[in-house]
Amino acid sequence: METMGTVTPISSVFPAEEAQKASRRVQDTIAEREQQLDQLKGFINDNVSVINLVQKLPDETHHNIMVPFGKAAFFPGRLIHTNEFMVLLGEGYYAERTAKQTIDILKRRGKALETKVESLKAIMQDLEAEASFFDATAQESAEGLVEIREDYVGEASSGAETAGYGKSDSTSSLEVDARKAAVEDEEYTRIFSRIDELEKEEEEAEKANESDEDERKQNELDSTIREMSVHQEVRSSPVQAIDAAKAPEAPAVSKDGSSRRDCPPPKSSTMNKVLELPEEKKKVQAPPTTSNMAFTGSIIEHAHNIGMNMPEQQTGARSSKPVSRFKMQRK
Amino acid sequence: MAAVKELQRDLENKANDLNKLQKDIAKNHQVRKKYTIQLGENELVLKELDLLNEEANVYKLIGPVLVKQDLAEANANVRKRIDYISAELKRLDATLQDLEEKQNSKKEAIFKLQQRIQALQAGKGKA
Repeated sequence: METMGTVTPISSVFPAEEAQKASRRVQDTIAEREQQLDQLKGFINDNVSVINLVQKLPDETHHNIMVPFGKAAFFPGRLIHTNEFMVLLGEGYYAERTAKQTIDILKRRGKALETKVESLKAIMQDLEAEASFFDATAQESAEGLVEIREDYVGEASSGAETAGYGKSDSTSSLEVDARKAAVEDEEYTRIFSRIDELEKEEEEAEKANESDEDERKQNELDSTIREMSVHQEVRSSPVQAIDAAKAPEAPAVSKDGSSRRDCPPPKSSTMNKVLELPEEKKKVQAPPTTSNMAFTGSIIEHAHNIGMNMPEQQTGARSSKPVSRFKMQRK
Repeated sequence: MAAVKELQRDLENKANDLNKLQKDIAKNHQVRKKYTIQLGENELVLKELDLLNEEANVYKLIGPVLVKQDLAEANANVRKRIDYISAELKRLDATLQDLEEKQNSKKEAIFKLQQRIQALQAGKGKA
């Protein structure tokens, strides 16, 4: 079976140290933003206290205060014109305002400050997400996770068809819905053409060997195909096909079957085959991927590919699952 | 040997140029930051001036003294200032882009030079 994709350890693309460095840099910017946030909060507090003061000032016609004189000295004085303010609007512009108007201006300023705080918080959230992403990457890289890329091979020739079969198994177990729909359609047409083919073969076989057993199998085949779900059909039909075709058609069928798995002994009877399946499933599940140790965490094993006797194919088909899981994580 | 030295001197020059470019870019960033802050402030002033009454007294601080100004005049001045700052920001953007392009081409040139030097040295090591 040809290789279906490339395997790259993440650590070669994103070395753990580099990822950690990136994460540290992001953390630094977060700290910077936090300082800015603190500053803004200080401004807001100042603004609030100024508003309170301005509110109280016009309550009296004059206030007895200590007037600052230079840096160190104060002397007692009187604050009059308590309802007249010179408000700095910015850029050296001042406006003469009453207490009420001043408060309005200050409140508007407070609102501007608050929007700034909000935007700053949003930015910080983004940065934190980025930091956690870098951390995760660093961790994955340190753990030795690998990325597997696999090109989607459409149905072009009989050779490509096998790749399509393997692919369809894996894709159906991912949640790549968009692609799945297309694959399913493809599968349907393929299944039906396959069924027609099988029926023809069946008829021929019946002619050649007219026995009750064959008829029974034919019925069984039809009913199982109808009952099974799409990708189960894909899997089961060749298995059945081999039994149904039996001796005469064996070579033709095994051509299809062999490309996907080791040509199973065509002489085994239907019942035997069915009984065998669970065992094979167990076998597939039982050995922890010794051939591919890197997938420590993220493998979810689906015992979908029933008839797979070849270990390389198993890993090939199985390794295609974590790809998508990995890609999904990326997203 | 002479060729390698020549190349290394060339590389040094290019690295210096790159450093200068990067400094320019940093300066550009700082200036831009300053202008952006000023733009924000001016916009705030404009908003407040728009909210003022016609007969409100507006002053401008010039040096140590407050000079009384016409509201309309102040308004026009602030608008002009905003226009100027926006234009300046645009200009800075253009220069920044230019600088970054230069920086990238310099980086590429340096990379190529390094490769050549390495190739030369590897050839010498074999010979």
